[in-house]
Amino acid sequence: MSRANKKTSQKLTLSKKQNISGWFFLMPATFLIAIMSFIPMFRALILSFKTGVGNNLKWAGVFNYQRLGQDTVFIQALKNNFIYLLIQVPIMLLLALVLASMLNNKHLRFKGLFRTAIFLPCATSLVSYAIIFRSLFAVDGFVNLILIKLGFLEVGYNFLAHPNSARMVIILALIWRWTGYNMVFYLAGLQNIEYSVYEAAMIDGASPIKTFFKITVPLLKPTILLTAIMSTNGTLQLFDESVNLTNGGPANATITMSHYIYNLSFKYVPNFGYAAAMSYLILILVAVLAFVQMKVGDKRD
Amino acid sequence: MKRKSIAVILAAVLTLSLMGCGAKQEAAQPAAEETTETAEEAPAAEAPAADASADGNTLTVWCWDPAFNIYAMEQAAEVYKEKNPDFVLNVVETPWADIQTKLTTAATSSDLSSLPDIMLLQDNAFQKNVISYPDAFTDISSSGIAFDQFGAAKLAYSTVGGKNYGVPFDNGAVISCVRTDVLEKAGYTVDDFTDITWSRYIEIGKDVLAKTGTPMLSMQAGETDLIMMMLQSAGGSLFDAEGNPTIVNNAVLAEVMSVYQELIKSGVLIEVNDWDQYIGTLTNSTVAGTINGCWILASIQTAADQSGKWAITNMPKLETVDGATNYSNNGGSSWVVTSNCKNVELATDFLGSTFAGSVKFYETILPSSGALATYLPAADSSVYAEPQVFFNDQAIYSLITEFAGKVPSNNTGVYYYEARDAVATALTNVVNGADIASELQAAEDTVKFQMGQ
Amino acid sequence: MIKFKRSFQYIFLTIVSFISVFPLFWMVISATNTSLDVTRGVMVPGMALFENFQKLISVQNVSQAMMNSFKYAIILTLSSLCICSLAGYGFEIFHDKGKDFVMAIILLAMMVPFAATMIPLFQMFSKAGLLNTTAGFMLPTISTPFLIMLFRQSARSFPHDIIEAARIDGLNEFQIFYKMFFPTMRSTYAAAMTITFMNAWNNYLWPKVIMTDQKSITMPMLVANLTEGYVTDYGVLMLGVLLCTIPTIIIFFVLQKSFAEGITGAVK
Repeated sequence: MSRANKKTSQKLTLSKKQNISGWFFLMPATFLIAIMSFIPMFRALILSFKTGVGNNLKWAGVFNYQRLGQDTVFIQALKNNFIYLLIQVPIMLLLALVLASMLNNKHLRFKGLFRTAIFLPCATSLVSYAIIFRSLFAVDGFVNLILIKLGFLEVGYNFLAHPNSARMVIILALIWRWTGYNMVFYLAGLQNIEYSVYEAAMIDGASPIKTFFKITVPLLKPTILLTAIMSTNGTLQLFDESVNLTNGGPANATITMSHYIYNLSFKYVPNFGYAAAMSYLILILVAVLAFVQMKVGDKRD
Repeated sequence: MKRKSIAVILAAVLTLSLMGCGAKQEAAQPAAEETTETAEEAPAAEAPAADASADGNTLTVWCWDPAFNIYAMEQAAEVYKEKNPDFVLNVVETPWADIQTKLTTAATSSDLSSLPDIMLLQDNAFQKNVISYPDAFTDISSSGIAFDQFGAAKLAYSTVGGKNYGVPFDNGAVISCVRTDVLEKAGYTVDDFTDITWSRYIEIGKDVLAKTGTPMLSMQAGETDLIMMMLQSAGGSLFDAEGNPTIVNNAVLAEVMSVYQELIKSGVLIEVNDWDQYIGTLTNSTVAGTINGCWILASIQTAADQSGKWAITNMPKLETVDGATNYSNNGGSSWVVTSNCKNVELATDFLGSTFAGSVKFYETILPSSGALATYLPAADSSVYAEPQVFFNDQAIYSLITEFAGKVPSNNTGVYYYEARDAVATALTNVVNGADIASELQAAEDTVKFQMGQ
Repeated sequence: MIKFKRSFQYIFLTIVSFISVFPLFWMVISATNTSLDVTRGVMVPGMALFENFQKLISVQNVSQAMMNSFKYAIILTLSSLCICSLAGYGFEIFHDKGKDFVMAIILLAMMVPFAATMIPLFQMFSKAGLLNTTAGFMLPTISTPFLIMLFRQSARSFPHDIIEAARIDGLNEFQIFYKMFFPTMRSTYAAAMTITFMNAWNNYLWPKVIMTDQKSITMPMLVANLTEGYVTDYGVLMLGVLLCTIPTIIIFFVLQKSFAEGITGAVK
């Protein structure tokens, strides 16, 4: 900010010109988002103050928002979303960072292979990975087989039939699927750090862990902020895993808000006003978290 | 080179988006005000709508299974072409979940121009859709289709407020399938499973389990298919005639829940986590039978090495409640004519002379698709009486059609899926040892909450 | 000691890679087996690949779906990269209070679940006659807050001295963008291209709402068709899923070198 101000005082006309061309750069994208996102969002906002079946709607004020507090399924979903967020996002981002800095090593062999392998999960179709995760964690599945062989269990444990273990399976699935995705951004971001910095650190005898925290993390901060905001958003809007892995069960123990919104819109007797109100609550939650993250991480040096 | 291509792409994209935007902004403005009412449907008509019956002889249909209902539709078109050679049928393969999404989206936008002429609706979702979006469907009561030729229970799904909105298609009559080879080892035959009660079923099941180590049944955990089948077999429902939830103080449901609990506790029924695993328990011979809608036969028959080892019979009945029978229904679908259909006469004539008028048509589709009719005259056909090798030469098709005629009507209610999910939650908790009465109370509260908009 | 560390790295990476690849491996195996063997959990390659393929093309128009998916994904990816990188660059290089504020507002656009905005969007598109068109498929996802922010964050490490130097040399702002920024940020472009292509390729909810014509079907829609119905043929399904996955993997494999071993130092 301060640098920008200094510039303005120095050469006013030039910076004005730049300012205008700056807006030209933003125009197409901003314009598209305004039309494709904000008009529908505005209409969803209006909808959230209405109630009724199908498209036979009438004004209801903040009724839908008040209802949220009494909806036990929604409260359960909200809780689930936050469990996923708090446990999964930090583990995943850390793991992605570690993997990215390992794979950034110039002397490592088979890098391309490793990178592609680790990226694969997010390209793998949901259909197949849902089937596989469910069968891996089935009573007679591979995971139970190992646990029994190792002597941790006597008989197979039905992971998907118990609330906490079912949530754990979802968290594992999420980590599995999205770590490689986030790694891609870190790898790209690491290219902007000169490799000689690492070599210098190595010669200075800095341990890999120290290099990681003192060099990699600070220099990747803009990218880490990006992935943190994206993952927060993604987790609070989580839909696929809840639907395909557990179908929200057992007894709504793993259902997410987006899954519930989908049910309210397309499975149950459609109640779009209520679904829209729920969507706006998600918007507020994500926006607050993103705002905090930006306050902490989005400083230009 | 790079520079040029970027510039070209950029220019192209910009013009494209600007053009698009111009058109859209004016469209969006009036739309913003009319969310409440179905006011204007007209302006949408100029849009190049999905190719609905433009030339007067074409029908567009949405349905989803190439081996089943798509095949049946195409065969119906062949039959219809004999007397109407110019007829053209355009089937768009659309999974059921997508039909529901597209229908909801189009109907909520009050813009039905994207809908086809005819689509297939799941019976369980029929009432919900017609009541939520009455404008999207055509009342075909007076179209001359002979609705009385269908089973009453089946027809009830597609009848809303006394008006016929659908032509019934496939049959979901419940059958109890058993592995005769496993039963033989324990000293039983399929006759021991015919016309019995649930307590007898559990008794035999325990014995089979003890002697062979094989449970009788498998079910998907957290799914209420079996619960709903049992409920309907005694004419029960989760709603009363006025549409109020009757989950508490429902004698049938209470008995159903305790039977289910007993099935689990005795080990006669094992729960698996998903549909694929459920099919796996059948093809892997993990279980000695299953109880489901008759469409499950198609999956059972994929295990060719089990040929001759299966037999079917009717399902067990509940004991203490009035009106209990050995017959029920699970699944099935019906055809609807949408209000976007420009040629209702053609659509109803087509459906009326095939799905609701041709025994020959049903005879054609049965052998390769196993699509069983709910069209009663088809039951007398000799094709239906053919013995089936896979089922030890049982004439399963006429047997199932006979079952279908005895199924008590089912009041799905509009809030069917809400109630079903709430009961599923209760069921999961009950299986894990919770108290039935308090879980049912919680389920009813959930449904009442969701109904209170 | 270093040797030990290195071999630890290899072991760790091998384990992670194995876990990551396993479902794909299973998918490949399953695509060569009959449906019955898949439900029975057979884990060795079977002989049914050809049979599955024949069944697949007899019930589904695979080549049409592939072509559609490629067309949509390529056009969408290229236009999206252009528009969003311009914006991301603009937001960072010319940043001031106004633009930072606009950026924050834009971020809001991704925070509402799509299920809520889908219906108003459909209404707009239907009235504009964009159902069953490429433009209809693409327009909502060309400009995404995510890509804009990705380019904004990476432009942060783009040295300002270079811009100043270029301005003195008489280049205009747009020339600076494509002569300086574009080549320097090759790794970011490659990463963005991979991800955008993947998202465009896998996009499902929106196309299934606006595509109502059998000819407009995409690969994910084709896979969804295979899972519907009373009987699922798992061998055929897995082959379909595999065909739907391969293009993304190839794109990744081709591009990964560009974004992970970028041209470091070229402009420092």
